[in-house]
Amino acid sequence: MTENYNITNGFLRSAMQMPEQLFYSDAGATLTYGDMAGLATRLAAHLTAGARPQRVGILGTRSVEAYAGVLAAGMAGAAYVPLNLKWPEQRIIELLGVLGLDALVVDANGAALLTDAVRAAAPALIVVADAAAPLAARPGQHVCRFAEIDAQPLKQPAVVGPDDLAYIIFTSGTTGTPKGVMISAGSLASYLGQSRLWTQLTPDDRLAETCDLTFDLSVHNLFLAADAGASLHILTPLDMLAPARFLRTHDITVWMSVPTLAATMRKAGALKPGIFPHLRLSIFCGEPLPAALARAWADATVGGRVENIYGPTEGTVICLRQTLTEPPLVTGDRGILAIGVPYDTMTVAILDDRQQPVPDGQPGEIALSGPQLAQGYLNASPDQDARFCILDGQRWYLTGDLGMRDANGVFHHLGRTDNQVKVKGNRIELEEVEAHLRRACDSDGVAVVAWPLLDGVPQGLVGFCTSARTPQQISDALLTTLPRYMVPAPIHIVDTLPVNINGKVDRRALVDGLARTPATPAPGPRLEHATETNT
Amino acid sequence: MTAYASSRVRDTIFQILAARKLAPAGEHDPLFSSGLLDSLAATEVLIQLETDYGVDLSDEDFDISRIDTLHALEQMIIAQPGMRPG
Repeated sequence: MTENYNITNGFLRSAMQMPEQLFYSDAGATLTYGDMAGLATRLAAHLTAGARPQRVGILGTRSVEAYAGVLAAGMAGAAYVPLNLKWPEQRIIELLGVLGLDALVVDANGAALLTDAVRAAAPALIVVADAAAPLAARPGQHVCRFAEIDAQPLKQPAVVGPDDLAYIIFTSGTTGTPKGVMISAGSLASYLGQSRLWTQLTPDDRLAETCDLTFDLSVHNLFLAADAGASLHILTPLDMLAPARFLRTHDITVWMSVPTLAATMRKAGALKPGIFPHLRLSIFCGEPLPAALARAWADATVGGRVENIYGPTEGTVICLRQTLTEPPLVTGDRGILAIGVPYDTMTVAILDDRQQPVPDGQPGEIALSGPQLAQGYLNASPDQDARFCILDGQRWYLTGDLGMRDANGVFHHLGRTDNQVKVKGNRIELEEVEAHLRRACDSDGVAVVAWPLLDGVPQGLVGFCTSARTPQQISDALLTTLPRYMVPAPIHIVDTLPVNINGKVDRRALVDGLARTPATPAPGPRLEHATETNT
Repeated sequence: MTAYASSRVRDTIFQILAARKLAPAGEHDPLFSSGLLDSLAATEVLIQLETDYGVDLSDEDFDISRIDTLHALEQMIIAQPGMRPG
């Protein structure tokens, strides 16, 4: 008998064993495993009415309909493809043109994006939330509401092989064009097998979901929770601005977010000792995690564990992990937590620019190999495909991240290879400057960008930070630890740093802000006050 | 004209709406949970609540949903110690 890699096996087993158990809660809805299984199996049957679908788009996030769509696509044996609600219309139309979707599942917010032009590019089968405004179908298109689905529930999940696609998630490419990362059911199974070992979820666990479906941390939460019979608690975008209350009122036991969310709470003074008594496991991912912030978060729990995890979407969510210890295992003088050691199933190497391994202690590009590697990018350009390569007969993914392995075999993240800039002949790592700025301004909220550009070549650095100190004080402090050419000028004190859809600091938005206000003293978004240079 | 305790933060919200070419919101229209305004606008409102009205954002039980409508904002500000309409 061959193994069925259907990605919903765990969910269906939990639904069978504990139908009354809470599975999902958001601001407006609460569903048990039984409720969600009923909804998703009917939707899966509807999606399968013609033939087994290959790809199902999800135009929605943080909603019952979006999660039902993911699970139904999985049950039907299709890959699910979350579409970002913040993409412009033209981008959605282009993607619908190349994705070859068999069906589109749309929640109430997604329905607002279904313009005539989007519907014209959408697949023949569309299922929309009951709450959405009335929609017209194009000829040959079948649009129905969730409540109108009259199919009998799908009895058995489709048989899926390890090489069948589980999902396609788009990452924001550094060039600005999103790349569709194709992850197989086998890669996901391998990921979940390794991740179960250290998360050890039980039906008593209550997971906070801070991410949209377009961010693959949502893969981790959804499938590990469903497998264990635990519950998912979805934050609204508004909750994410002050999440302490959400954590407390929902008795959250497992938290995962980008560090910036925690930094925002810390800055507001809301991260007080012991305020999260139920929180046993806190996971940070997606950005460097300052050790001081990790400690402050740990102090807000009562004996809770804090984990820093690392990995690109191309390696199925993450594949390295470092537990916060006392003292913390930090990366050099950057004050950030190490990224730890790889999953047993994955191989991680540090390579030079000719893809040769460098000795321990030397910086190089982080490369990954193993069963979690993506099948590749959807409709990849040769340039993009080159990130996946064969070295010594083994398939690798080159992350574009700079890293180092220390003498103890622990990996450290040293920034992006493409955040390395050269200013007036000096090679500068933006992350390195940020680490110093963080200390100098006594705040976690910092960003450094290369600016201005002259013919695309950086002429200097501009710093942004949330701080109670003056730019002059910060600048003076920086000059004590950095050469002058690495000290940003000007340094802008801001109320808040722009973040992208997943809550990461958005350097591009900062640069765009600078570009919009040429040669005026008020660059960048939302400055509290314009600032002086440090000269 | 009604004198709102929340008149300054109302002005801010109407300015943000106008700047984004959106119609003025009604008393009970959800501003943020509906997606009408984004988290950057919410942050602006929060900062003003803290600086102009002394709302304590470090309170771990601060209920962020109370900034979601003009009505809820008014209620929150009236309930602030030392606040009176005007």
